[in-house]
Amino acid sequence: MSIDTHSAHDAHGASEGGHHEAPEVVDGRQRMGIWLFIGGDIITMSALLFTYLYLRGVNTGGHWRSMVGYIGHSYSYYQNATNLPAPSLVHVSTLSAGLNWSVSAIVVVSAAIIWAAERGLRASKNAKSYSTLAAVATIVTVLAIIFSIVQLRHIPQIYVAVNDSQTMSYTAYDSAMMVIIGSGILHLFILAFLGLGLTIRSARGVINGDKWYQARLVRMFWVWVAISAVIGSLVTTTIH
Amino acid sequence: MTTTLEHTTTDAAPLGGGLARRQNMATALVGGVLFAWLFWFLAHHFLDASSRNYSDLVSVSLTIGWIIGFWLGIGALNAPARWMMGRDNTHADDMYLAGQNQGKARYWKYCTDHKVVGVQYIIMTMVLLGAGGILAMAIRTELIVPGNHFVDQQVYNGFIAVHGLLMILALIVAVAGPWGNFVVPIMCGARDMAFPRLNALSLWTLVGAAGLLLTTLAVGSLSMGWVVLEPIANQAGVGMDFFAMAVVVFTVSTTVAGVNTICTVLTMRTKGMTLARLPIFVWGAIIAAALGLYAFPYFALVEAQTIMDRTFNTSFFVASGGGTGWLQANLFWLMGHPEVYVILLPAVAALFEIASVMARKPVFSYRTAIAGMTGLAGLSILVWAHHMFTTGWAPTLGGPFMLTTELISIPTGLFFLVLIGTLWRGNIWMKLPTIWMFGFIANFIIAGVTGIYLSDIPIDNQLHGTMFVTAHFHYVFVGSVLFGAVAALAFWYPKVTGRFLNEFQGRIAFWLAFIGVQVTFLSMFLSGLRGMPRRYSSYALIFEHTNFITTVGAYMIMAGMLVLLGAVITSWNKGEPAGPNPWHANSLEWMVPTPPPLENFTVLPVITEDPYNYGEELVRS
Repeated sequence: MSIDTHSAHDAHGASEGGHHEAPEVVDGRQRMGIWLFIGGDIITMSALLFTYLYLRGVNTGGHWRSMVGYIGHSYSYYQNATNLPAPSLVHVSTLSAGLNWSVSAIVVVSAAIIWAAERGLRASKNAKSYSTLAAVATIVTVLAIIFSIVQLRHIPQIYVAVNDSQTMSYTAYDSAMMVIIGSGILHLFILAFLGLGLTIRSARGVINGDKWYQARLVRMFWVWVAISAVIGSLVTTTIH
Repeated sequence: MTTTLEHTTTDAAPLGGGLARRQNMATALVGGVLFAWLFWFLAHHFLDASSRNYSDLVSVSLTIGWIIGFWLGIGALNAPARWMMGRDNTHADDMYLAGQNQGKARYWKYCTDHKVVGVQYIIMTMVLLGAGGILAMAIRTELIVPGNHFVDQQVYNGFIAVHGLLMILALIVAVAGPWGNFVVPIMCGARDMAFPRLNALSLWTLVGAAGLLLTTLAVGSLSMGWVVLEPIANQAGVGMDFFAMAVVVFTVSTTVAGVNTICTVLTMRTKGMTLARLPIFVWGAIIAAALGLYAFPYFALVEAQTIMDRTFNTSFFVASGGGTGWLQANLFWLMGHPEVYVILLPAVAALFEIASVMARKPVFSYRTAIAGMTGLAGLSILVWAHHMFTTGWAPTLGGPFMLTTELISIPTGLFFLVLIGTLWRGNIWMKLPTIWMFGFIANFIIAGVTGIYLSDIPIDNQLHGTMFVTAHFHYVFVGSVLFGAVAALAFWYPKVTGRFLNEFQGRIAFWLAFIGVQVTFLSMFLSGLRGMPRRYSSYALIFEHTNFITTVGAYMIMAGMLVLLGAVITSWNKGEPAGPNPWHANSLEWMVPTPPPLENFTVLPVITEDPYNYGEELVRS
């Protein structure tokens, strides 16, 4: 037996699963979508940390944080230098834990701002206030991007000259840090894009006290990025 | 499963106006080429040409430009940009994106209608299989006699790698792509996928990735198998950059598609469509999607690390910098084995569906089928190291990994139990889908049994790296998955086109392919047992006869596929009319008109029974 319990497709298509639906209609499935994307991101994060810990554990030839070569000058210096001395084992220091945690702290602060903004929006229905706070969170995120780039630039290059292979290179530790920081920067760019979008949308009234669903979706991802930043810092500053 | 359905035309969307409405595959290609050139130009002029990695940096820049340009050209970035600016699509925009009133032109566009995406996946799969098949023929022609010089040895190596990845990509989407898109939403009683725009994104991202992969052949290719083990990958030419970037881009496609499939099934089922009433194919689709979500991030990461080692001089896989090739092997195989079941599960689930309909019986032990698929997915993430038995990595773990690998035979056995139980004493309708299904069963037995041999460490030590392994996984992919994919195509083809796939041509194709598979791969087993290594362009005289037979068999498979291709093309417009429900099935996709209208249902159905209730009399008979 069959029953018709659903109204026909309305003028704006805000029915079940069409091509144009109101945000509140799709909110449930978008939340699940975000959770699944976060799930995929957790796997990626795990693989990054696996890379870090595996290389640390294997410590091939004792070269986790050392490499035979030269350090201290630019690539062109060594390339143009004549009579280079015999290469020696260069040990690299760990990256600044302070900078590492600073980036994480900034991301956590931005997540807290975006969360507080969303709570405020739902409670007070004040879209202007939300827009301002989303803008602040976006600016804070840009700050985190800058700090991360600074951190990347502190990764020491070692000049290696072995037979025909003459170039700057990185140790396994630096490589693993580079990919973790790089992944963090990618996440931060996504947050900056989302934050900017939230700012503009709420300023234009697309997100408001009655339509806050997308604010919640973005907040969920934002919080995950903050958590992943803390986990990354925790692992890389305690095991190295 | 009974429903009330009627179809009315929804409001027409206003057409014309705006560059965004003129975007299609041609603009995507133009955009891709332009941006690739722009990025190449910038990299060429601003990067240090004396750097050892200069050519790799330029190549990677070019590939990034290609994909950005391709996305821009097809219109994939329109919606995110509009979202950010707070200018959401109007209803007319969305209906236009869904291809309303655009005829066949919508098949070349960023169309959000899941049925259009499904057809696009059919075309895409055939293109990928065709390209991979041509490379396979070139490989087999090279191997028809020892010392043949049909292709240059370096070119041959490239063919091996690109054939491998092309076929893997093709088979990953061969069933889940077309039918996961075309029929799964209708089977659930949904109007479309959960995220229609992401659905189109997954398809067109795959097209972009395929472009990169095929370009590999034009830029010097690469001299290894698709596993691209280190340190060879680090030493390869710039083709490796294209290859690795293709994988990274492909991962974006599969991740988006996986999230979309799972969300659709879990959140958009119509009233009464409980999880226990889901057609079994839907279960296969979401289990495979979940497994893909788990597996493919490893693939992207390992290829990203390969790119970094080549372009930024990191040391993930470089021993002198503290890296190790075993990291690459572990990350790759963490993806590599689950990926086999991402490919296999949708095909198996489609066959459960076909067996039930064609035998007029419910799926035998429906819950066992789900348990088998779930068990297989779960176990598949615990077996990766069996690919590394002979590498010397963690020998003490060999025993546990051998055990988990052999445990795989239990859920696999359940598949046979369910299939045979479903067919047992049924009124079997020997139509084209059924015939290809039987081909699958026969071939999958050989694939499974030889897999058990290879999971055994002492035997693996003897056979690893030989043609025996190649024959085994070709029985899985060609003999099993491809046969399952063709069965699914023959089964749902009438729903897409309103016509049957030509039965006569389909049967000729079947026998050519079925006999071809036995001739090709049984003789390949023999080559492997005699010790012939994989991936070599020449071989000792002792392998001459078996290789000749293998090549003849491969030509037979190709002939079968060409006949099948002819059947697909000619039947599209001239096949025997099929009507909306030619197999007298009960699941929802057969209850809607053929072809299904935009948004599928005017009134969403309410489900009161499971889809396999064919009546007690039929069950008993």
